[in-house]
Parts: sequence; structure tokens; C-alpha cells
Amino acid sequence: MKRYVLKRLLWTIPILFGVTLLSFAMIRLAGSDAVLQHADSTGVLLTPELIASERARLGLDQPFFVQYFRWLKGFLSGDFGNSFVSGKPVLDAFWEKLPATLLLTGSATVLTVLISVPLGVLSAVRQDRFSDYLIRFCSFIGNSLPNFFVALILVYLLAICFPVFPVISKAVDLKNAVLPTLTLTIAMSAKYLRQVRAAMLEELHKPYVSGARARGVPFRKILWNSAFRSCLVTLMTLLALSIGSLLGGTAIIEPIFMWDGVGKMAVDAIEMRDLPVIQAYVVWMAVIYVLINLLTDISYRFLDPRIRMEGES
Amino acid sequence: MKKRNIAALLCTVLFSLSLGACGQTDQASQTGQASQANTAETSSEAASETSSDTQKSLVWGDTTFNTMNGEPSIDPHADSGGWACIRYGVGETLFHFSDAMEMEPWLAEGYKNIDELTWEITLRDGVRFSNGKAMDANAVKACLETLIAKMERAASALHIDTLTAEGQTLTIRTTEPVPTLLNYLCDPYGCIIDVDADVAAEGIVIGTGPYKATALTPDTSLELVRNEEYWGDKPALDTITVRTISDSDTITMALQSGEIDVAYGIPYSSYPLFENDYTFAGCATSRVFFGAMNFESEITSDPAVRKAIAMGIDKNGFVDTLLNGNGYPATGVFPASLPYGGDAVKAKEYDPEGAKEVLEAAGWKDTDGDGIREKDGKPLTLRWLTLPNRQELPLLAEYAQSTLGDIGFDVQINNTANYNSIRQDPSAWDVYFSAMITAPTGDPEYFFAYHCLDRSGNNDGHYHSDELEALHAEMSKTFDPQERQKLAVQMQQTILDDDAFLFVSHLRMNMIAKPTVKGLAAHTTDYYEITPQLDIAE
Repeated sequence: MKRYVLKRLLWTIPILFGVTLLSFAMIRLAGSDAVLQHADSTGVLLTPELIASERARLGLDQPFFVQYFRWLKGFLSGDFGNSFVSGKPVLDAFWEKLPATLLLTGSATVLTVLISVPLGVLSAVRQDRFSDYLIRFCSFIGNSLPNFFVALILVYLLAICFPVFPVISKAVDLKNAVLPTLTLTIAMSAKYLRQVRAAMLEELHKPYVSGARARGVPFRKILWNSAFRSCLVTLMTLLALSIGSLLGGTAIIEPIFMWDGVGKMAVDAIEMRDLPVIQAYVVWMAVIYVLINLLTDISYRFLDPRIRMEGES
Repeated sequence: MKKRNIAALLCTVLFSLSLGACGQTDQASQTGQASQANTAETSSEAASETSSDTQKSLVWGDTTFNTMNGEPSIDPHADSGGWACIRYGVGETLFHFSDAMEMEPWLAEGYKNIDELTWEITLRDGVRFSNGKAMDANAVKACLETLIAKMERAASALHIDTLTAEGQTLTIRTTEPVPTLLNYLCDPYGCIIDVDADVAAEGIVIGTGPYKATALTPDTSLELVRNEEYWGDKPALDTITVRTISDSDTITMALQSGEIDVAYGIPYSSYPLFENDYTFAGCATSRVFFGAMNFESEITSDPAVRKAIAMGIDKNGFVDTLLNGNGYPATGVFPASLPYGGDAVKAKEYDPEGAKEVLEAAGWKDTDGDGIREKDGKPLTLRWLTLPNRQELPLLAEYAQSTLGDIGFDVQINNTANYNSIRQDPSAWDVYFSAMITAPTGDPEYFFAYHCLDRSGNNDGHYHSDELEALHAEMSKTFDPQERQKLAVQMQQTILDDDAFLFVSHLRMNMIAKPTVKGLAAHTTDYYEITPQLDIAE
């Protein structure tokens, strides 16, 4: 097990090298640069001399590999550099925005599980009855609505018609997180509960369930102790993907609620060709996905003892 | 079954109630009660800000106060922080522009132009920074020295050689004649701040304006309180919160819900929501939506094609229909509010039939009947490069595609965020439409210097005119404002006669406020927003 974990962690090194090089190249291929984007964004016209001197100051006049390896050298010594746009250390800005992202990830994930697991199980148990149809209908609606539209509807209902929550988030706390959390939860729950329902139905139709029922084992016990436990692997896989994505920020939701997370920061950075911020974000995403996938794989081992890790006998 | 029916009934009732409630809110908003109804609860925080017992407070929502826009702080010496510094009433410049765009003393009392290189500026007595320190010539000298040391853009515009301070008299000597020196000092970077006071880590500076900043969270909010040391009229408000709101729908709903009192950056499409009960403060700005012709292109190097394009776009139709009247048809570079703008010059009128005749006479004919003209077997294809970051530009491209299509053009739109790379490649486009503020310093030279001359960094279409070069050379050594204005008219007329640039419309800038907000006025420069007169009724 230790060897497996170590091996997976060592794989992070080539992954980080690959994704950071790729993102560097993609930003280069996208054209323009931080100096021109900034001048356009601010509406300030710069003379060719000023543009050249700004490029030289930021090191953008250097060849591609010189720029990349300069960044890599800084990264290996723990220095992510300063943002081309704000001039502030990238890591400071990143840590500032992380609590908001973590809170939103946590609240949306918990609420999604609380909604989708019971409803998914209920839908499977009451297959082809009214409650099943109703849940599936709601899931269909939830899946069909784009996030930004759900966000606007929620704001209209819960901030304008019934002024319970604020339109603009004024702090990183639970009250201000309600509307963005609900927005994310609606989309995620709609997807999850169909998956939970499908996984449960598959389990409930297996022979061991019929056998247990024939032996008089209470259905509730079969449902939660055996069938649901088997579904946890599916649920865990879904959660891993969602948590990874949420920790990367929600670029559409964050600007709507003025939720100051890493998603908006990443989109702004890409638009402004702010390479140090983009690179920090790419590193963050790579590390998140490697770690979460690793944790998920390990969790499979505990959720389903039939699953063995690589190298285990 | 009964349970199900009851549940269904309950759902129906709840749904109806919620719709009813929303409907009532809509009605309330139509009858002028929106702000009261909406401020009721949500905005308990906002409400407390706007109507607490003794304090008069206002919440200002703005889509532009953010790092992306070069405003991570209010430090006028960093990036575009000067815009926030002057807009939100923290900083003031030595001179400013009147509503008629005439330059007037502000922190200065007057000036003397000793010779072509020397300016003597007399500062106003009794002005103090918000920390109580007197604003004298030494403080202004230190501020300007820091400015030119920190900001190359300012240094290269001002060409300051030496600064001499004595009491309230500041003498500026430049390295070369700079007729527009005082205009450049009106730029937001010219805000006078106390550079001896530490600039806070987050970029708070000490200015002389009616309000002083107490807290700043970049991309989120700025807190202001009245500057008790203010030299002018007593500022009407006790506190102001400036909130950054980047999403246009969010700022719309924040104003509807009453969380903000004034909104800057509401999209045109949301204006009808506020037309009945809210106050609009707007004016024509010098931001112009304009196109540059590519003189390296086989198509637009043909004078007949350029002329036909100029005659083939219905500016009035664009402003009235697509901008819903939120703009002004442009004749030349500058809006009518400037003495050298508007009808001071003559541009080609919209005349589609005339445009067709021009093209016919030049040999551009539709020989195969497909609606697109050809000449020597080459179709009249116009590669229209534009950018998506201003809502008006893609609309204009589509509008032109239609109206120029009627004349026989095949307009191919390239609306891309990557326009910066493309525009520098003259083989990749025929016309490039963008937007810019043409008179940020109240002086006409700016536009020509950056777009139209051989040495202009943004002359991507490689336009050249001997006449224009000569006029600009004359302008660069002309100090008399009246003479500069005359030259500006001639220079505009030159580029219009060459059909080198096409000016479609000027932006009407609007701020929308609750009816309780008083003293809100828009300014052509977009510099002065939070003033001592800005007030809110209790």
C-alpha cells in the first residue's frame, strides 16, 4: 500500500512538468500577451517603446523555453512569481481566494450528497411509481437548466421577490454561500440522483438481494447494509470528479454572486494572459486531481474489499 | 392517493403564491415603490447603510473597479489606480475639466507659461490632505517626482526635467516643449497625494478629495468616509461603500434589490427595468466606435471601396435601433460636446445608392448575380476584424454585414479576443473596428498621435498622409488652445476625406441611481463621479 501511494505521488512530477509546459505553450499559441491585453482592458494606449519596455520588464521578450525554465526554476524553489496584472505575489492572491472556494466546495458537496442519496435511493426503491417519476422529472429539469440561468432564477426569487439572501456576497460565510451553493447543488444533485438510482436498481436486481429477502432479512437492512454499500464506489467516483472540479473554482457562478474564489481568478488570468497566475492554477489543479484520484482509489479498497491495489496479492 | 392529492395541491398553492409575490414585486416596481419594498429585508445590511439614524451612507456599485481593468488599488502611481482615486473622490488634480470640457484650476489657482519649457503653477491656499498635512508646492513636487519615477507612461507624456518648489509656487521645466502639459496633469495619474504618508499594502493613498479611503479589498470593495479636512463644500455623505460587481446581471439585480444605491455599468438591455422609477445620469463621452482601413489590403486600398463603406453604414440606424438610443451618431473623432467635435467636420452621409454608383464606377460589378460584386474576378470580400469586449462592437459588425451586404459587399466578421495579434498582421484583415476614448486629456492630439501618423504604434493599417503629418508637426509646437482646436478640425477632415477611418458612434455613458440619490452627474471624461454634492435623501 505504501509503495503504491509513493508510486502514485511520484507520478505527480512528470504530470506537473507536462501540464505546466502545455499550459505555457497554449497561452503562447493563443496570441497576444499580458502587456497588450492590459492596455486594451484599461483603454490606455501605449507607444511601441513603452510596450517593448513593459515586455522586457516582464520577461516576455525572451524565447519560449527561457521563459518557461525561468518560471520552473522559481516554482521549484517555491516562488510562483508575481502577477503580471496586479504585481502582487501569486501565492498570496491564491491563498486569499482559497477559503471561498473550499467553503463552496464543501457546502455544495455536502448538500448534494444529502439531497441526491436519499432521493436516488427512494427513486430506485419506488421504481415506476409517482415519487420515482416526480424525482426523475425534477432531475431532468435540473440537468437541462444551465448553471447561470439557475443562479439568476434563484437570485430573482430569493433576493428580489423574497428578499432573504443578498445578491452580492459580502463575506465568505455560510449565509452568503447559500445562493451559490444552491445553484451548484441543483445541477449536481440532478446528475447524482440519476446515477445513484441506476446503481441502486442494478444492485437491487442482483440475486443476493432476492436471496436475502427470501431468507427473511429485513429489506431496510439489505438496502442500506448491502446494496447501498455496493453503490458507494460509484458515488465515490462521482464525488471525486465533482470535488476536483469544484476546487478548481466555478468560473460562471463566482462572478454572478461576487464570490471571490479561484475560478474567476483563473478565467481573468487567462483573459489577461497573466502567465504566473495561470501556471499556479494549473499546478493547483494537477495536484488536486492527483491527490483526489489517489484518495478515491484508496477508498475503493475500504469500500469494496474485493478491490485490490496494484502490487497487492 | 389522498396524500398525493394533498401534496399536489400544496405544491400548486406554493407555486402560485411565489409567482404572485413576484408579480406583486413587479407591480410595485412599476408604481414606484420598488426601492422601498425591495430594501425591506435582504438588504438589511444595505438598509442599515442607507438609513441609519445619524449617518448618511451610500453604496456605489461599479463594474469597472477591478484588477482586470488596471484598478487593483486607488494608487494613482500604480497602473490605472488614478481612475479609482479621482472617480471616488479621494484624489484631485491640479487642473480639471468643466462640463464644457474647458480646463479650469482645481488644486491650482492659476499658471503662467514663462517660456516654451517653463510653467509656473500657483497652488490653492488652505488645501490639506485628508491626514491634515498642508498641500504646498513641496508636497506636490514630491508627488510628481514619485509619479514620473514610477510610471513610465506619465514620464513619457510629461517630459519633466526639473521641479522647483517655493511656498505655494511650483515651477515645472520640461525637456522639450509640451503644449499639453496641463492637460496631461488632468489625467487621473495626476492626482496629488501625500507621498510622505505610507501607501497601505492594499494601495490606499492619502489625497485631498472630499472622501478618504479607510479600507480596500481589491476586486471587492472600497470604504470611504468624509474628509473632514476638505477645502471645498462639505461633503454631503458620511460614508460611501464602493462595491465591485463584475457581472452585468448581478449589478442589475443588486440595484433592483436595493443593495446598491448607484450603479455604474448596467447593460443597455436592462435599462427598461429602471426607466420609470430610477434616476439616470448620463452624457456623451469621447469614447468612439470606429474603424481603421487597411491600406495594405487589396480591397481597402481602393479609395472607391473605402468611400462606399463610409457611405454604406447607417449610423443613425445603428444608434437608434441597436443601441436603443444609447449613443450619438459620430461625424468625426470627437463628440459634439467638444469645440472641435461634432459638426465642426463633415463626413459622408449614409447613401446606399450613391455607394453602389461609386463601386460601379470603380469597376466593382456583380457579374454573376450572386449579390456580391467582383472586379477582375476578385469578389468584394471585406474581412471585418473586431473584438468582443465591448457589447457595441459585435452588434456593429452584424449591422454592417447587413447594410454593406445590400450594396454588394461580402462582409466576413472576425470577432475575436485574439485581435491584438491579428491586427498587427496587415494581410489578415481589411477593416478593424474598435473603441477608444479620444480626448482623455481634453486635448485633440492624443487620437492622431496614437492612430494616424507614420510613427503611431496603433496605425496598423499603415495609413499615411503628408498633409496630416504636416498638420501634426504644427500642432506639436502650438501652445494656443484655439489654434490647436483649428488644427484638430483640419486633421479630422483630412482623415475623413481620405476615408482612412470611419467613426460610427459615440458612447452615451449612464449611471443609474435610486430616486433618493441627489447630486449625481456624469461627466464627459468619466473622471468625476463621487463629488461633495453627491447625497442621499434620508
